[in-house]
Parts: sequence; C-alpha cells; structure tokens
Amino acid sequence: MRRRQLIALVRKDLRLELRTRETIVAMVLFAIVMMVILQFGFGTRDDDLTRFVGGLMWVTLAFTAVLGVGRSYVAEREQRVLDGLLVAPVPRMVMLAAKAIAILIYMVAVEVVVIPLVGIFFVQGPYWGAIGWIAITALLADICIALAGTLFSGLALFTRARDLILPVLFLPALVPVVIAAAGATHAVAGGPHDMSEWRGYCLFLLGYAILFALVSIATYDAVFDD
Amino acid sequence: MSGGAQYVVAAYAVIWFLLLAYVVVLGSRTARVGRRLEAITRVLDRREGRDGESGPPEDAA
Amino acid sequence: MTPSLTTDGPVRLRGERAAIIWGTIATVLVVVSTIGVFLVAPEDADQGIIQRIFYFHVAIAIASLVAYGVACVAGILYLRTRDRRWDDACEASIRIGLLFSVLVVITGSIWAKASWGTWWVWTDPRLVTYLIVVLIYVAYFVLRSSAEDDRKMRYSAIYAIAGFASVPLSFYSVRVAESFVHPVVFTGGGANMPTSMLTWFIMAQAAMVALFIALLEVDLLGRRSERALHMLTIRLERG
Repeated sequence: MRRRQLIALVRKDLRLELRTRETIVAMVLFAIVMMVILQFGFGTRDDDLTRFVGGLMWVTLAFTAVLGVGRSYVAEREQRVLDGLLVAPVPRMVMLAAKAIAILIYMVAVEVVVIPLVGIFFVQGPYWGAIGWIAITALLADICIALAGTLFSGLALFTRARDLILPVLFLPALVPVVIAAAGATHAVAGGPHDMSEWRGYCLFLLGYAILFALVSIATYDAVFDD
Repeated sequence: MSGGAQYVVAAYAVIWFLLLAYVVVLGSRTARVGRRLEAITRVLDRREGRDGESGPPEDAA
Repeated sequence: MTPSLTTDGPVRLRGERAAIIWGTIATVLVVVSTIGVFLVAPEDADQGIIQRIFYFHVAIAIASLVAYGVACVAGILYLRTRDRRWDDACEASIRIGLLFSVLVVITGSIWAKASWGTWWVWTDPRLVTYLIVVLIYVAYFVLRSSAEDDRKMRYSAIYAIAGFASVPLSFYSVRVAESFVHPVVFTGGGANMPTSMLTWFIMAQAAMVALFIALLEVDLLGRRSERALHMLTIRLERG
C-alpha cells in the first residue's frame, strides 16, 4: 500500500519533469555556466586545476542542488497539488520519501553530465580510473542533499521571499556535505590516491544522511500541519 | 604589559561590549513596554474625564 | 468593592524570582572567575598571557552549545504542546546562543592574531565551525521574519531542531577534514591542563552557563510582560 503510494508520487514528479523538462535542463545548464565562471574566476587559462577538482565539482553541484531543490515543490504550490495530497490519505512520511527520491533522481541525472565534464574541463590525471569511487561519493552526497533539501524546501515553501529563504537555510546545512564530498573526491582524484581518507569522508556522509533522515522523520509531520 | 596583553584586553573588551549591547536591546524593549503603558494610561484618563463630564457614547467621538 | 491593582493579583510575575536568583549567581560567578582567571591562575608556559583568553573563549563556546541545545528541546516541546511559551524560550535561547557564538568567533579571531599573527586561520577548527554555526542560526531569524503566527512558530521550531542536528555535523566535518590536511593541529588542552587551570576553567564555564540562564530568564520575563500588555491593549480597544 505505502509502496504503491510512494511509487505513484515519485512517478508523478518524474512525469511532470519529463513533460516539461524544465528543471533538469536548467540545472545542467546552470552547472556548466558555473564551471565556466569558476574556471575564469580562479585565474589563468593554462593553470592545472586538478588539485581543486573536489572543490570545483562540489561548489558547482551544491549551488545546482539549491536550484533543483527550490524547483522541487513548484507544482505542489502553483498547481495546488499539495491541497489534494494533504487531503488524500497519504502518510507524511511517504510524501517526504517521495520528494527526497525525486530530488535524488534529479541530482543523479545532473551528475551524469557534470561529473564527466569536470574530468574533461579541469583534471589532468588519474580521474577516469577513480570514476567509480567518485560515483559512490556522489550518490552518498546526493542522499544527504535530498534529505536536507526536502526538509528545508518544505520549510521555505510558504514563507515570503522563499526563493531567498531556501539558500539561506539550505546552504549552511550543506557546508558539511560540501566539505566531505569535496574531500572524498580530492582523495581519489585530486592527486594522492588515499583510500582511507576517502572512506573517512564517505562514512561522514553516511552519518549526515542518517542524522538528517531521523530529523526529517521526527519533524516532517509538523511541516505540513495546516 | 608583557607581549600579547593588549589582545587579552581586547578580547575581554569585546565580550563586555557585546553583552552590554545585548542588555541595551533588552532595556529598549522594556522602554517600549513602558511607553505603551503610558499611552494606555492617557487613554484611560481621557475616557474617565469624558465619562465624568457628559458621558456621551464613545463611538460618537 | 473594586479590586485594587496594587495589592491584588500575583505580586511577582512567574519567573521573576528565577531571574533574580540566576542573575545573582551569574554576577557572583563572573566576578569570581574573572579574578581567578586574571590574578590567580598560573601563566601558561608556552603561550603566556594570551592563554588567558582561552578560559572565556571556550566557556562561551560551550555555553552557546548549551543554548542551542535548550532551543532544540524547546522546539521539540513546542511541536508537542503548541504552547507559544516554548516558542518564546526557543527564540530567546537561540538569540543568546547566537550572541555567544559571535563572541566565540571574535575572541577566537583575536587569539589567532595574538598567537599566529593573522586575524583568520582556516585551519583552526573552532573558528571555522563557529562561523558555520553563526550562519546556521542567523538563518533562523531570517526564516522567522518571513512567516506569520502559527506557521512561524512551527517552522522555527523545526529549524531549531534541524539546526541543532547540523551543529555536530559541522564540528565533525571540519575536524575530519582537519585531521587529513593537518594531522594534530589542535589537541584542545582540556585533559592535559594542570589542575589549577582546570579549576578556573570550570569556574568560567559555570559563570557563562549561569549568564546564559540569567539572560534567558530576563528575556522571557520581558516577553511575558509584552504579551500581558498586548492582551490589555486589545481589551481596551474593544472598549
């Protein structure tokens, strides 16, 4: 029963996205522009930025995530989907999980483009051999982003100036994710291939995801309590 | 003063300054409460004065 | 017989006694610990006089975490009871916690200048962590200012809980990164402090926590009288 509700809600988000292709296309474009800006912001064109690969990748992805998370509740708010959902006998937990999964899928879709591009644009080194480790890092970080993003975008949903509120709430909470994900990416692709360092950061990401999952589960009922 | 003493003094000055600033903020709120209480007193005075003279209904004013 | 305002009703507002008691305790402890830290505690062999910043710097840091913890508990209790007094407690504690965190960042920066020669050191985990913590809790007030009434209180309670969850995450992420980039930069100095220093550190810590409680009580008293005044105004306007 709950699984069917969950699948239906996720499919609703994905079908809306496939029909309009608004969010993911905008996110990918934004990420590419962001990388170009970072490249020119960091200095000359012939510098090797391999050392900064973790930072470049996760700064880009963090801001892209804010963009995507901000879009994730647009249909609910503007087309009054939320009213229907809240009346329907769907547990809040299922709504939370469905939204988190939708954000996760957006992020993965963006990363399929962005992570190879980071390699092409910035890295002169053993990047492609480590692509599997980077993918695992990215998946863990995406789970963190999806959980925290669902909670904070739910909070920002009905505030005034929500487009400003969301980054202000979301980015400080995202700082640990950026630190850990950038560190893990750097550990496997930015020079020294240090697996114990990578493991440490990934364990941290796992802990972040678990903690935010607990907080979301404990408080999500109160987010939509109108 | 030995080396670095000025930094210690600066750190304590900052602590006291910000704590006092916070107390001033609390005080300004108390002042606002006081102002509003005075306003209420004036309203009550006016009402009583008017009631004593002729006692017209209040919504006539 | 008309009731007299001066003799009827509670002589004291609820919490007034607590504010007086905690204010007294905080005053005494602050005076005693200031004297102790400056005049009694021994000079640190390595850092000299600069080390005396440490007592209050760390004590305020821990007191601000206590404040955020109190705010988190108040947030949980608000969501449970929907009693706006818990929302008051939550906001007041976060406000004091934020004040303390700003103090931690500033005194930490002064310490960095004194011992390393620069105002900001990205490798000192405490400075960086508290900067992140300040950002997290400033956002609390941004959130509060952009929602109304019931929604405002509910959202801020949720954010106080989520924010308190991000605090240890920020601590660990900064320290995990630190341990890989610069192995053992900072050992804290809590466990290997001489006893005489530890005594005064504990005293300073008690002073700062008492100060937090006293400020909280005073703040809550102010809110209570504001609310009473608000009700009075509404009744007067009704006629």
